[in-house]
Amino acid sequence: MNKKNPDHFFSQLLQNDLIGKPDEAIENRLMHSFLLKSAGLKLKQNSFTSYFGWLFSLQSIGFKAGLASVILFFSVINSNLSPDTGKITGNDSLFNKRILVADSTRWIKSMDSLRHDSLN
Amino acid sequence: MIFRRKNKILSDNELMRLIVSHDQSAFSKLYLRYKDRIYYYFYRMLGNSSDLANDFLQELFMKIIQKPENYNPAYGFKTWLFSIANNMCKNEYRRRGVHTKFQQYEVHEEKFDFINEQTVETKLVIEKIFQSLEQLGQEHQSTFLLRYREGFSIGEVAEILEVSEGTVKSRLFYARKYLAEKLNYLKEEIEF
Repeated sequence: MNKKNPDHFFSQLLQNDLIGKPDEAIENRLMHSFLLKSAGLKLKQNSFTSYFGWLFSLQSIGFKAGLASVILFFSVINSNLSPDTGKITGNDSLFNKRILVADSTRWIKSMDSLRHDSLN
Repeated sequence: MIFRRKNKILSDNELMRLIVSHDQSAFSKLYLRYKDRIYYYFYRMLGNSSDLANDFLQELFMKIIQKPENYNPAYGFKTWLFSIANNMCKNEYRRRGVHTKFQQYEVHEEKFDFINEQTVETKLVIEKIFQSLEQLGQEHQSTFLLRYREGFSIGEVAEILEVSEGTVKSRLFYARKYLAEKLNYLKEEIEF
């Protein structure tokens, strides 16, 4: 009698072993859970929590410090370019009264502070 | 039709990538692809209990839903999936203390109603094999199942069970020998 190879015999035997199918309700439950998780993530996308969390954490601290320095630098430069720099204003309420007019000629201002001061 | 959508069969890795980006149909495909095999593994590893097998199957796929990013595409998906299944079985054994608690099943003839193409004789042989394997231990049973039912290579079985290839070979040899000793039928059928 020809004896079989054990590997082949056991493989064949187990491949043909039928035990039935898993419960079909599992698939529905899993799909529901998947939907719930996806819905949860979509809601999270609309919140600022993660953004503020990142902003006030130590994560990417170099980048945040650099960004803060750039903003600070430009704000200082901007205030120095202002025509009112160096001008001492008195506490005279009449002098401080200004009428704001949308005059486009004022948008281009002279950078010559001497001339600017002399005109005033 | 010009714009007909191609029904391309996606690989497990591609499906996992889609699952990470919340594609439900990808998850459904992956579940349908593996549910029977994982169910069988749990069923045999957990004392032939269909309730436990169903619970564990659901739990395993829930893990994938919760943390799909845990999968490393550098490794085979099938290997990863069965290693999770095996770890779940190990935890269950540990939780219950002694794994002999699972050795309570008997061969019930009425359970075989759904099997038409399988003879009762073959079924009884299989049940005897698993009864014997349970006596041998969970490690031998998982090695035997992964090798002969799932068709994993020795290397893959070693990766799943986190043991050396030599250990896998030794377990298989010992399991075959033990089965031959226990079941006279096998002695006549196969060459050891």
